[in-house]
Amino acid sequence: MFAFVVRRIITTIPVMAFVALFVFSLLYIAPGDPAAIIAGDQASPADVERIRASLGLDRPYLVRFAEWSFRVLQGDLGTSIFTSLPVTQLIAQRIEPTVSLMILTLIFAVVVAVPMGVIAAWKAGSWIDKGAMAFAVLGFSVPVFVVGYLLAYLFALKLDWLPVQGYTPIAQGFWPWLKNLILPAITLGLVYIALIARITRATMLEVLQQDYVRTAQAKGVSQKDVLFLHSLKNAAVPIVTIVGIGIALLIGGAVVTESVFAIPGLGRLTVDAILRRDYPVIQGVVLMFSLVYVLVNLLIDLTYTLVDPRIRY
Amino acid sequence: MDRRTFLKSATGAGLVAASGGLAMPALAQGATKTLRFVPQANLANFDPIWGTQYVVRNAALLVWDTLYGVNSKFEPKRQMVETEEVSADGLTWTFKLRSGLKFHDGAPVTSKDVVASLVRWSARDPMGLMIRAIQVELTPVDDLTWKWVLKAPFPKMIFALAKNNAPCTFIMPERIAKTDPFQQITEYVGSGPFKFARAEWVPGAKAVFEKFADYKPRDEPADWMAGGKKVMVDRLEWVIMPDPATAAAALQSGEVDWWETPLADLVPVLKGNKDINVDIGDPLGNIGAFRMNHMHPPFNNVKVRQAVATALNQEDYMRAIVGDDDKLWKALPGFFTPGTPLYTEEGGDMFKKKSVADAKKLLAEAGYKGEPVTCVVAQDMAATKSMGDVTAELLKSIGMNVDFVATDWGTVGSRRAQKTPPGQGGWSMFHTWHAGADCVNPASYTAIRANGEKAWFGWPDVPGVEEQVTAWFNAKDTAAEKEAMGKLNKAAVENVVYVPTGFYLGYQAWRKSVSGVTSGPFPVLWGVSKA
Repeated sequence: MFAFVVRRIITTIPVMAFVALFVFSLLYIAPGDPAAIIAGDQASPADVERIRASLGLDRPYLVRFAEWSFRVLQGDLGTSIFTSLPVTQLIAQRIEPTVSLMILTLIFAVVVAVPMGVIAAWKAGSWIDKGAMAFAVLGFSVPVFVVGYLLAYLFALKLDWLPVQGYTPIAQGFWPWLKNLILPAITLGLVYIALIARITRATMLEVLQQDYVRTAQAKGVSQKDVLFLHSLKNAAVPIVTIVGIGIALLIGGAVVTESVFAIPGLGRLTVDAILRRDYPVIQGVVLMFSLVYVLVNLLIDLTYTLVDPRIRY
Repeated sequence: MDRRTFLKSATGAGLVAASGGLAMPALAQGATKTLRFVPQANLANFDPIWGTQYVVRNAALLVWDTLYGVNSKFEPKRQMVETEEVSADGLTWTFKLRSGLKFHDGAPVTSKDVVASLVRWSARDPMGLMIRAIQVELTPVDDLTWKWVLKAPFPKMIFALAKNNAPCTFIMPERIAKTDPFQQITEYVGSGPFKFARAEWVPGAKAVFEKFADYKPRDEPADWMAGGKKVMVDRLEWVIMPDPATAAAALQSGEVDWWETPLADLVPVLKGNKDINVDIGDPLGNIGAFRMNHMHPPFNNVKVRQAVATALNQEDYMRAIVGDDDKLWKALPGFFTPGTPLYTEEGGDMFKKKSVADAKKLLAEAGYKGEPVTCVVAQDMAATKSMGDVTAELLKSIGMNVDFVATDWGTVGSRRAQKTPPGQGGWSMFHTWHAGADCVNPASYTAIRANGEKAWFGWPDVPGVEEQVTAWFNAKDTAAEKEAMGKLNKAAVENVVYVPTGFYLGYQAWRKSVSGVTSGPFPVLWGVSKA
């Protein structure tokens, strides 16, 4: 197992190098000029050129890439063109809200989606199954921002139970933290629930046809135990896989959710940076997201050994 | 540890973490009076000389004081300055600071700070550059006095120092003001009514300003940038909200107190809320515009430009931007901001014609043969998107061949600087808007200039326009200024320097618990209190 982890971590290096090259090149050829945005409409072309030079944007591609790569290897993601703050500091300012939102969404989604998928499979073809799957289709189909607005309208404006927007760090108390994240987590979680519930149902349907399930039922094992102890365990690998793959979905969804609920997270940082062509920030955030995604996949692979003792690395 | 033990312990650890969180106390709410304000945009940087976006100027007005300030009658009034004197030949200006002014770090404001700040400002500001071009010396005389010696008179000196267009003459400590004007400052110390709480700044999310206890407001009543800037709250939080619907909901729920620029579509909802006031925000509004590329076909031909201007119906554009609220727009047969002292419509008949037949005739006379019009439209800005859609239909209606390029504002910003032909990465037209505050006269009105390759994007070359700009700068009285503005408007219309699509206003909205809110070309955050 240790050798496997080391091997996987080593394979991360070329992946990250490719991501770095790809992102840098993409931004290099993408249209847009941060110097023009900084200079404003009153600036002359000469002013824009001077700002561009002061930012080092007039230098050749290879020089810029080499410098950036060298700094990244030292753990320095550079400095934001606009704020003059280190990219690592900007990420540090924004990471807590995004991680909080993702963890809460993950918990909420798994807690709702897995039982929903199991019950839908158990009652396949019934109105419960149809209802659950209709909910899943709805979760996929309704855009995140629409769900967000509707929830905010109902629970924040009309009922005044929860705040419309913002984020409170967990250091200022659990409830203030949670209060700000309930609506965003539900909003973001709906798509995720739809995905997990459908996969759970499909896998469970397959498992429920197996001989050992029939044997367990014949032995008189309770339905609950048949479903959650015997069947769900054996269906766990695909479910864990989809939970991991869904992290990418969460990252994408967080961008919209953070905008709708004005949460100062990494999603908004990314969008703002893209709109302003703040290259160092875009590069830093994409690199970080890529790393997270690679590590999550590694974690999923390791989780297989926990849910299925037959898997060994 | 086996698989089962690991799973149990992981669950346990999660519960412990959660209960630990539960045990954490909420921060006590003090008696601090905090005003929460949603600005028009994100405060992404905070150097008002390096970056000239309006949101930076608005925040800078809180932190840095100015030498003079323009009031709602467009009169320049003393602000940090106590007295000024100009020699009989108009070449030597001597200024004296008010005594007792302090920076936020406790240091006194001196003439050395002022001189360093003016040097930095004059390297970036269009009027500053004009003064710099005729400057002999700019030097401190004593701690509070400095002089500016020129080679030629500059009648608009006080206006240049008082204007509200970015960049303003923000006074910084000498050590900060000595920063290269093309490099961003890293220390935000001013002598204005608010201190910037840098530690709490989260670009894209929040900016915090605290009342500066040692600020010395003038005795006169506050009026835009002029008069006594008395701060009535302890703390001002700028809450950045990229989503207008969220901002509207937050205002209704009382999570924020004041929203600078509500979306027109959401205003009826806000007006229907008994706890919210809605009124015009900036009375100088905005002028919608599209610019044509004077360097390349087809718009290098003045008749083609006139054809487009002749067919245009500004009402179509304005309804696309502000909807059905007629209080929010008016037709603009010219280039200057309505309701301002020098406003003129002289020679503006072309923009009133709205005649497709006349436009087609002009196109035929121009020999237009279906050359593509590369119309670059930013889709991420509501105003440019709306105007772009209207223009595409307009051009088609008169028989022009439209190559509609839908893109984002960042791309427009770089593409419009390309002088290459439209088919080679250049462009034929793009949409934008100009703050009405910039269009009250030619002083900071870059878009009206027509000095060829030195002009703003589109590079119009119309000597008649430039002559009148010079005449305005040299004008010694209001009558002469008005005459120059009239001729300038006429020449700009005839040659279609650019096409104004109309004048439009926007609302601001605030909760009734907030008092002292006024209209202005920037949010006037002093004099505002909260119950």
